[in-house]
Amino acid sequence: MYLSREEERILDGEKGWAYQVAMRILVKLGDLFGADRLIPIESAHISGVSYKTIGDASIDFLEALGKSGVKVMVKSTANPAGIDYSHPEEMIGIFEVKEKQNRIIEIYRNMGIDMILTCTPYYVSKPKEDAHLAWAESSTVVYANSVLHSWTNREGGPSALAAALIGKTPNYGVHKPENRLANVLVKVEPCLRSEADYGALGAHVGRLLEDEIPCFSGLTCAGETELKHLGSAMASTGMASIFYPEASCPRVSGELEVVSVDMNDLKNAFESLSTTNEPPDMVYIGCPHCSAEEIKHVALKIEGRRVRRDVRLWICTSRYVRRKAERYVKIIEAAGGKVLSDTCAVVTWLKEIGVDVLMTNSAKTAYYAPTMNKVETVFSSLDRCIEEACQ
Amino acid sequence: MPIVLKGRPITGGRTRGKALVSKNPLSFLGGVDPETGVIIEKNHDLNGEKIGGAVLCFPHGHGSTVGSYVLYSLVRRGVGPKAIVNEKADPVVVVGAVIAEVPMVDEIDVSQIRTGDLVEVNGDEGTVVILERDGSCT
Repeated sequence: MYLSREEERILDGEKGWAYQVAMRILVKLGDLFGADRLIPIESAHISGVSYKTIGDASIDFLEALGKSGVKVMVKSTANPAGIDYSHPEEMIGIFEVKEKQNRIIEIYRNMGIDMILTCTPYYVSKPKEDAHLAWAESSTVVYANSVLHSWTNREGGPSALAAALIGKTPNYGVHKPENRLANVLVKVEPCLRSEADYGALGAHVGRLLEDEIPCFSGLTCAGETELKHLGSAMASTGMASIFYPEASCPRVSGELEVVSVDMNDLKNAFESLSTTNEPPDMVYIGCPHCSAEEIKHVALKIEGRRVRRDVRLWICTSRYVRRKAERYVKIIEAAGGKVLSDTCAVVTWLKEIGVDVLMTNSAKTAYYAPTMNKVETVFSSLDRCIEEACQ
Repeated sequence: MPIVLKGRPITGGRTRGKALVSKNPLSFLGGVDPETGVIIEKNHDLNGEKIGGAVLCFPHGHGSTVGSYVLYSLVRRGVGPKAIVNEKADPVVVVGAVIAEVPMVDEIDVSQIRTGDLVEVNGDEGTVVILERDGSCT
């Protein structure tokens, strides 16, 4: 990969160890994946913020980076943390980790990163169409490429951080138009009714295709919310970074490989996301973090009802969206639900706060929670989740 | 003659160890217990196995991008792999190997290697040498 003289100097350590490590990560990825050069990015989104997911050894790594006084070169935002500081009553049992979580947040903040603590940064501020980005958090990456038409590879937490510190990313993968062409047509036969159906479809297609680029036919009424659930599920079970919701899209020349998804496939995928049919002790909506629209949907569904005493209802979003949807937040909280920000069920300590069975409308959460949080899962649509939570 | 598999160098360094081989892709986040290094991914053919000290061979990574930090964390705790051998390197695992300083080679047909083989991974040259199988030299 070609490096400018200034980039060479950073790689040689002239700007210090931290920038050198950052440059080493970018150069390694660039060399491996055939990049010709580094290209400037509009923004970076950094994952690896929750203490639960990154653990102690990573704090050491981040602290070493932070100590050297490095600063990000472009607008940079951060993924959710492990704690919602404004809902301490929901966090009983885990507050002893507060200090470690604080340290992580401080390290990132000192680097100049905007600690919006959400996995849907695009609800706070949308990147430009065709802008090159270095975004981590797999659901965010798929959404950026497929719905927002921006360009980002599926970065890891450290590679997004490295790109933020350098202000550039290696030019490979889906930064090149020829690597954004659909090569599989997924024919969806059943009619998808809810966001959970889209999640189940995503889980199935992700497993099947790994890193191939699908375009879909049969997704007749998919809005941005449904596509968010489809993409985040695909990225969880597979390596997806882009898909096309319609069959008319940029595609490789010649006939596309065709994969059909029938009712049975969808049913199996849906069922595979539940590990139990026990009643839940938590009902969770907000993976990926809710839009104002989704919060409104919950509010309209729950208005005038009451969350059961033996169930917690968590709705997770960013502080920004929570403020924007304040009217609906009040309705949900009046019914006994909690609208949390800065965190989510997967990156917090569910067992420690007394959750054994988690019901969710998120295929991504249903996929990760049994191993990451050691809880049983019940996967269902948002409407059925709210039904279950209420008396 | 030992069996020499030629792949692509990813991260440098040379090490020897017992191979732990999987046919399934692996997600470090959620798939490996960060405290113990035990594989906990559901339906994974190495479910229940400890990766600590092993030369971990699997087709490629998948899943969440926090996986790079988990790999770093595992290595720092002394329960991480000694080396990584992949068929097709993915960015999450590569960056994890760079910051954790674990030798890594890809473009290797991992089905050639069996769990329990004594192998030497040379991350500078991109080779994997099978030195012993079933207790005998190959």
